[in-house]
Amino acid sequence: MHEFAIATSLVEALLELVEKQFASKVLEVHLSVGKLRVVSIDQLKFSYGILSKGTALEGSTLDVEETPGFARCNNCNYTQKLETDDPTFHFGLPQMTCPQCETNLILEGGDELLITRVRMLAPSTSSTVLSNGPV
Amino acid sequence: MVAVGIGLAKPVEVVTPAEGEVFDVELEVNILRENERLAEENKGRLGSKGIHAVDVMGSVGSGKTSLIKSMISRLKQDLRIAVIEGDVTTTIDSDIISSEGVPTVQVNTGKECHLDANLIRKALDKLPLGSLDLIFIENVGNLICPAEFPLGSDRRLVVVSVTEGPYMVVKHPMMFRDAKVVAINKIDVASAMGVDPNKLSADVARLNPKAATVHTSCRNGIGVNEVIEKLGLNR
Repeated sequence: MHEFAIATSLVEALLELVEKQFASKVLEVHLSVGKLRVVSIDQLKFSYGILSKGTALEGSTLDVEETPGFARCNNCNYTQKLETDDPTFHFGLPQMTCPQCETNLILEGGDELLITRVRMLAPSTSSTVLSNGPV
Repeated sequence: MVAVGIGLAKPVEVVTPAEGEVFDVELEVNILRENERLAEENKGRLGSKGIHAVDVMGSVGSGKTSLIKSMISRLKQDLRIAVIEGDVTTTIDSDIISSEGVPTVQVNTGKECHLDANLIRKALDKLPLGSLDLIFIENVGNLICPAEFPLGSDRRLVVVSVTEGPYMVVKHPMMFRDAKVVAINKIDVASAMGVDPNKLSADVARLNPKAATVHTSCRNGIGVNEVIEKLGLNR
């Protein structure tokens, strides 16, 4: 449900980027979303499609790379990949106590929610090109 | 939603494009950065006035309002307390809380399933911050969405009741990650429900070894003082 709110923040950030870069249009947006975030990618894309209509983002593709969870023990340096491919997110967060020394594990990956790359189109100013040409 | 500009953090590579050219910008921008910035702002604003804020989360009917009310009746002699009540539409909860005689601000989210830091910022504007020690923020009854939106509180209480069944904790792991205290509520009806509160406590310990778990019954006043103590609110 909250994907619409996340998509709203995403669209605001992208429109600001468009303005800063003087772009005319956004073609591709790449995101990195941790598997431990409670974010439905399908709902995020659906919301993005609705919110981008009528803006420089309309028609752009939203590419989402899902990053795996990773935990570390700061005491004994034990590391653990947190694999979860459960689409319902149930049982998504595993045990956070170090199995070696019983210290608390620190989450080092899997909770990202980032814009990583944006492909844009610079505006074409054909009239300027014509007037600058040799006579 | 928040409509403030979002600053762009460390553009790694910015290519100056020619006219009509396609170009890429690589960056690392947190999509919810604006909410997190506002949450930090709220936290700073509360901290500068020495106010503690407890974010209370849990399902509809878990007993968030009852537990807040029970804590207020025990604390209001010693602390100046206010409540921010988040709800989708009704004022039922704030009506219950205001019977304790503390300032209450109702925040109706309309169609949103969670409170966000901007709504809290506006709610704080309506409270007499110069004469408060403690604010309870009751989030919308939802165990998924509020986990993604920090509000600026300095501690979180999650309320789970045995009437929600034996799998409440394991099915909503994210909610418990940052909790300071988890109240397993309505233990007076645990045997009728066939739910073992100790099993729920063990699930919390597995997900968040740092959280304190307290068995409570607001109806009988069981465990309320212990929740206050574990939250560090007693003086």
